[in-house]
Amino acid sequence: MPKLLFEKRFSNSLEPGRSKFFGSIIMWVVLAFFLFYTVAPMVWLLISSLKTNAELIASPFSLPEKMQFTNYTNAFQVSGLNRLFLNSMVVSLSATILNVLIAAMAAYVIARFNFKFKEVIFTIIIAGIMVPISSLMVPIFTLIKTLGVYNTRLALILTYTGVSLPLSLFIIRGFINNIPVELEEAAIIDGCGFYSRFFKIIFPLAKPGLITAATFQFLYSWNEFVYAMLLTSSNSVRTMQVGIRFFSNQFTTDYTSMYAAIVISIIPSIIGYILFQEQIISGLTSGAIKG
Amino acid sequence: MKKTISSKIGMVLFLLPAGLFFISFFVYPLVFIIITSFTSWDGLSQPVFNSWNNYRFVLSDPTFKLSIQNNIGWILAGGFLQVPLAVLVAILLARKPKGWKFLRTVYYFPNVISIVAMSMLWMAVFNSEYGILNGLLKAVGLEGLQQNWLGNYFTAYPAVVLFGVFYIGYFMIIILAEISSIPETYYEAASIDGASRLQQELHITLPLIRGSTLTCMTIAMVYGLRQFEQTYVMTNGGPANRTMVLVLYLFKKINDFQYGVANTSAVFLLMIGVIIIVGLRRLFRAKD
Repeated sequence: MPKLLFEKRFSNSLEPGRSKFFGSIIMWVVLAFFLFYTVAPMVWLLISSLKTNAELIASPFSLPEKMQFTNYTNAFQVSGLNRLFLNSMVVSLSATILNVLIAAMAAYVIARFNFKFKEVIFTIIIAGIMVPISSLMVPIFTLIKTLGVYNTRLALILTYTGVSLPLSLFIIRGFINNIPVELEEAAIIDGCGFYSRFFKIIFPLAKPGLITAATFQFLYSWNEFVYAMLLTSSNSVRTMQVGIRFFSNQFTTDYTSMYAAIVISIIPSIIGYILFQEQIISGLTSGAIKG
Repeated sequence: MKKTISSKIGMVLFLLPAGLFFISFFVYPLVFIIITSFTSWDGLSQPVFNSWNNYRFVLSDPTFKLSIQNNIGWILAGGFLQVPLAVLVAILLARKPKGWKFLRTVYYFPNVISIVAMSMLWMAVFNSEYGILNGLLKAVGLEGLQQNWLGNYFTAYPAVVLFGVFYIGYFMIIILAEISSIPETYYEAASIDGASRLQQELHITLPLIRGSTLTCMTIAMVYGLRQFEQTYVMTNGGPANRTMVLVLYLFKKINDFQYGVANTSAVFLLMIGVIIIVGLRRLFRAKD
């Protein structure tokens, strides 16, 4: 290495070793802060959900004397949690399947064929990703009433399918674009028609994209609150999120059972995250979410 | 790809469901909102045209003004606090320290949990009797600072806005991906020229992640605009409307059967959204 360059390299810091050491301490302090901030409240919630109320009030940070699993059975009994849980599952799974299927069909046509105003139409649909959906409360409420499905699970399934169509369409089209057209051209020569090309070639090959879109859609549907509250009025069709919101009224003094109920509501999200972590991260990093 | 007759029918059939949903849940609602924002309407009888009355009403309504102010606070906190923190953590994780993948996974974790559950968790943190925050203050001998955080007029708004700012996982992952795509040779060249690590991050990394930073700021700020659950669950707009936001205002107008006014506030919401998106794009382009 030429002498000049060598000197220049170290001229900025007199003690490179030491500043590197402090740099890495600062780094670990920052990273540890965010780790603690993310994990600590949730661990606290989990521990508290296993305590008695007296223990919680007396010493908020202690471990339970004896694990109170009765809090969990209470949560199920008092709030009708199994009903809410079932409704959330039915709504989220149906909305996910419907949304991904419809988005995949449209994405296929948009990715593979040319027609008038295609780019304009696609751009308008994609702009839908940025619309603050909660501002559409009145018209969607009116629409659901007109369709005669107010206070049914179908109301939520249709709404969730509709409002996240732009995002799913965007994600899936990106994946279909990456499938070589030659595969389909070969299939056409073999006498493969429009529908069998879609179901036999595109569907299996775009699977990672479909799973990514489905994961986001499931989490959205499971966690959605505004429309779940607006479009339903009776407990028999309400979902988990609306349910836990009203727990605070039902469990006026029984905090620890309420915490148990919150923990139960989080479990499907955790399972989904553990199973589909790769798809979520690749969905975010492949630019799928970039407006 | 060539279009045969049967594939033309297929195209129409495949586009139809998506088109119907898009028209029902986007086109129709947007047109509907703009038209009914000029009417007086209780949701039961026919809407009656009332010109700019709703607009005059909301603009003179102190609660509406306070909502807009509060939303601006949310928007600024998202764009200028949360996203820069995410950039900082992304830059640190891009050095691939031990366990960076684990940290990435954990930091994203809060994003898969519903905002309602998160808000209820933080209600427990801020609770005056047995909350974590008061417990911590007691443990370090600062009992004087103990508060009913969500009931106090001065602490309620910062409490509701700020707890989410430190959940940076979503933006961090997007930015980290863009940092990882910067060629290593840029940094090697810079370090041969004597640039310190800090200088490299400032002069190489930051300019090259402008694209994902713009995306993240847009998402964060639009999120600050449409946020509802935290406020609804934790304070319901109180104390004395101190934490009120636009979507909650809209929701309360629906409950009061003032659908016209509700839609007028929706028009403001949409307009602010457009201003954010266009404004940020301008800002980032001006730097070129």
